[in-house]
Amino acid sequence: MISILIIEPAITTIIPFSHTYGLCTSSSSSTTTWEGTRRKPRAEFQEEKARVLSASLRHVPRLGWTEEAMMAGSRDVGVSPSIVGSFSSKEAALVEHFMDECLQLLLDRVDSGLDLQNLIPSERISKLIRVRLEMQVPYMSKWPQALSIQAHPVNVPTSFKQRAMLVDEIWHSVGDGASDIDWYVKRTVLGGVYSTTEIYMPTDDSPENRDTWAFLDGRVKDAFDLKKSIQEAKYFAQDIGAGVGKSFQGLMNGVMQTMSTRGGGSSSAF
Amino acid sequence: MALRSISRRFGSRILNYRSSVASLHSHATSFGFQQVKEEEKSKLVGNVFTNVASSYDIMNDVMSGGLHRLWKERLVGKLSPFAGMKHLDVAGGTGDVAFRIFDAVNSVKRRALRKVDEDSLEETQIYVCDINPNMLNVGKQRAAERGLRDNKSLVWVEGDAEALSFDDNSMDGYTIAFGIRNVTHIEKALAEAYRVLKRGGRFLCLELSHVDIPVFKDVYDLYSFKVIPNLGELIAGDRESYQYLVESVRRFPPQEKFATMIADAGFEKVEYENLVGGVVAIHSAIKL
Repeated sequence: MISILIIEPAITTIIPFSHTYGLCTSSSSSTTTWEGTRRKPRAEFQEEKARVLSASLRHVPRLGWTEEAMMAGSRDVGVSPSIVGSFSSKEAALVEHFMDECLQLLLDRVDSGLDLQNLIPSERISKLIRVRLEMQVPYMSKWPQALSIQAHPVNVPTSFKQRAMLVDEIWHSVGDGASDIDWYVKRTVLGGVYSTTEIYMPTDDSPENRDTWAFLDGRVKDAFDLKKSIQEAKYFAQDIGAGVGKSFQGLMNGVMQTMSTRGGGSSSAF
Repeated sequence: MALRSISRRFGSRILNYRSSVASLHSHATSFGFQQVKEEEKSKLVGNVFTNVASSYDIMNDVMSGGLHRLWKERLVGKLSPFAGMKHLDVAGGTGDVAFRIFDAVNSVKRRALRKVDEDSLEETQIYVCDINPNMLNVGKQRAAERGLRDNKSLVWVEGDAEALSFDDNSMDGYTIAFGIRNVTHIEKALAEAYRVLKRGGRFLCLELSHVDIPVFKDVYDLYSFKVIPNLGELIAGDRESYQYLVESVRRFPPQEKFATMIADAGFEKVEYENLVGGVVAIHSAIKL
């Protein structure tokens, strides 16, 4: 995924349109822009698609994650709205593009010096998830629609993969310090924290989403309550048969144990 | 009835000059399995369609067992028409595809879902272009029957696919259903399609194509050469025209070859989808 965003570190929300529009439109018609002659004579379809999708994001708060938003985006870029008809997954394409852009933006922020050094791992995780979720703030009114699009069976493989990548990258940026906890367990735990916060966020109308960040800190703390959460996550991983290396017998025992010990557990699936 | 569809992406433009020039020349000088002079082909094809115009729709139904309707639905579905679009349907004489696009844009459901946006207040324009006035007349008649005689969205134009009278970069969509086979110079028609489309505009071609599946191929050949001309005789009173039809299908370039030709005209993202094992293929591409 080619990212063509240039964002100053101070900005915490994604504003693709205003930063890239000027650069994009000039490069398609003249040969003296920073992209030089590469765009002439043929713009690649994937590039055009990415440009249209980026421009469409500006219309999402008003039109939702829909074909109308993509057609408006295509008009902004100077391309016939017909092109939207050729996107294979329509609305899902827009949502998936947004998820990719956000991930790229997150990685850029981390590389360009998001201050993580002085924080303990749990605080790092909190900060990274917060940075990532803040990118969704401009679209919060339509985010439930995006979630439902991602939950369609057809779109689940891609959305699952994108979220798995996000969680991987976050762990990687955290420094992936200690422990021999199983890799799947770590993914699951973090995935759970991220998803529950993400679902909580659209319901929050506190100023600057303060309640959401408090909720997030609470979930991260729970997850880092080591003894409790490793055990919980292990049992959970056993339930879904993920690589903890036990036999079927062990699996059944695990399920039995989980059912009897799990009370107000906070790990949720993703 | 089972519809098989295989979609293949055609990204590269490998061109073998000699063989392509030769086969284009052969298309331009072939009238079915007969050899004719290039200048004459157009006239001969014109005669065919003047003769079949009045029974064109019935014959389509009979020959394809009604399947042609589904194929056209699929074509229009792929196009995803939108309100305010400028669309050109070439060789669309009797209006099948144009009516479907009109319905798609104006359906109640669509209108209800449409958000108010300045640009969508532009008028949808569907141009139906055909070289044969008889076919256009049948189309206009059908429009009148549907109560669309005076509707400004549908415009019937007499014209040649190889030399369109429309401006450059003026169309959002271009379709040609069961028409490109009859054009004398395919590459000219493709070049014209490229010219009139806007950036981002889509080209869609529905055409009878080649079947490679072993046993089915023989069944199809048998049906084509034994049954269809007889049906033509029986229903339309015109064996020769339908003989021409089945022969011209065999002479038309196969799917991959045609996809190369489309790519050569400058189109991007050239793909094709086979329906009914290759009896019919929908080629699609985008101008960028």
